[in-house]
Amino acid sequence: MSEHEADVCVIGAGAGGAVLAAELAEGGASVVLLEQGPWHDPDSFDASPPRMLAKLYRDAGQTLTLGTPPIVLPLGSGLGGTTLVNSGTCFRTPEHVLERWRAEFGLELDSETLDRCFQRVEEALSVSEVTPELAGGNAAVARRGAERLGWSHGYLRRNARGCVGSGVCAFGCPTSAKQHTGITYVPRAEAAGARIVTGATVREIEVRAGRVLGARARTHGGEVEVRAPRVVVAAGTIHTPLLLEANGIGRESGQLGGNLSMHPATAAFALMDEVVDMAKGVPQSFYVDEWAGEGIMFEGIAGPPSYAAMSLPLEGERHAEAMRSYRHLAQLGLMVSDSSRGRVRRIGGLSRPLITYDLDERDLGRFRTGLRRIRELFESAGAHEVYLPLPPGTEPEQARAKDLGLMAFHPLGTARADADPSRGVVDSNLQVHGIEGLHVADGSVVPSSLGVNPQITIMALATRLAYHLLERPCPS
Amino acid sequence: MDEYIAAAPQPQRSGMYAVLALARRPRGAALLSRVRPLAQVGRTLLAMERYEEPVVARSLGWDAEAVIARGRALRRAEGRP
Repeated sequence: MSEHEADVCVIGAGAGGAVLAAELAEGGASVVLLEQGPWHDPDSFDASPPRMLAKLYRDAGQTLTLGTPPIVLPLGSGLGGTTLVNSGTCFRTPEHVLERWRAEFGLELDSETLDRCFQRVEEALSVSEVTPELAGGNAAVARRGAERLGWSHGYLRRNARGCVGSGVCAFGCPTSAKQHTGITYVPRAEAAGARIVTGATVREIEVRAGRVLGARARTHGGEVEVRAPRVVVAAGTIHTPLLLEANGIGRESGQLGGNLSMHPATAAFALMDEVVDMAKGVPQSFYVDEWAGEGIMFEGIAGPPSYAAMSLPLEGERHAEAMRSYRHLAQLGLMVSDSSRGRVRRIGGLSRPLITYDLDERDLGRFRTGLRRIRELFESAGAHEVYLPLPPGTEPEQARAKDLGLMAFHPLGTARADADPSRGVVDSNLQVHGIEGLHVADGSVVPSSLGVNPQITIMALATRLAYHLLERPCPS
Repeated sequence: MDEYIAAAPQPQRSGMYAVLALARRPRGAALLSRVRPLAQVGRTLLAMERYEEPVVARSLGWDAEAVIARGRALRRAEGRP
């Protein structure tokens, strides 16, 4: 067994854990960062969706929720976590969401501090708006449709530097342009003296007399024990509650594993006159937020032919015919800010979650409306045909939950923050209620759906926690 | 495809092997068509397999090798991680 002493043990190197490890190490703390997945060498990225799904995603991207409908929930695996495979979209937490957190969950979130944390994250990740040239033909189609309809829209802000629009953000960026935490914060943490252990599956969090004492992990080479007066769990929204539950932590409120919110999503295709070449350019570069207030957001999505062929909602000769026109296909994603709530439970040991989630009537309504509006947008843009992700002959208004082929992104809320210990797992400072020194810093603490991509919200909250632990203000 | 399916969790892994084997044969595909979700899985796997072929992808304007070569060259030239 290898043994380490540290000021802080961080579990997970995704959006929350990597940021925290770097900020703490640079602030002078001794840090051990335990990550279950490996470091992925960008030289091994080959832009092949099936091979990269197998390599960069947990369970080859086939984590499934049980319910109506079953939903595919892709999760990244490795240094960087899901930031390794996401589209790089960066939205700050909407102000109305922060107000709700203060009012409904009693969270003391000082706007000025949060603003500094966001600035710090955005600077570290080189966040900037995608240019129209880099956005490519797929975004141009959506933009034309939105402009003709007068719908609010814009180019997305992303964490990328030197991007050339390889078109495979979700399958490993071959230029390392996407500034995921595995190539930004993790190297910073290491340079500042943090010890990074990959392939480490944490089994045990030791707590005695209401105080955390450290963590124990299993690696390929044996056991690793970290003795630390502070432990931060950042294993992600799906796996953090499993780890806490397995250690009998955080169950008092009855909220652990519950309140799972996600952004269920689908996408439509359109056949255009022009050559679109959807995979040339930034796949997620453009958004339409005209209906964000109703919980409906459109964001660009695109990929190579094998990816498009998998998701094109046609069969037989119609599928083959549309694929022959791949260069003329445009695609747009529909993401719903959900009111449905799910639950994560532990089955068969730590690593296997059982995720239950049923789409409620309000969310079904959002999909019906959203699909109708996507068709309207594509038709305004000049589409010859629009292919909606529904069974043949089914109009959006008639769609049932089981008719929808959904994926979901951005799981949140399974160890939610609430000032009241009877209503949440962690407090305003992300410390587990009743356990000194044990914190959570990932999507699981986010108490409600954001309606926008959450990565920099998680990073800003982790930055805020780092400076709280360092007992100094976050620098501007 | 093998890598993709092998990395899937059970029971999806066994299910996908079985569905793919059926979907590749006309009689198997006819059998699958009676169960819509399974037929959908079969179509998805076959489509992914077909359009992964470099010759097919290149005919549709997508050259993965060129994308990767450009990415690696840029990464090296600029000293990126």
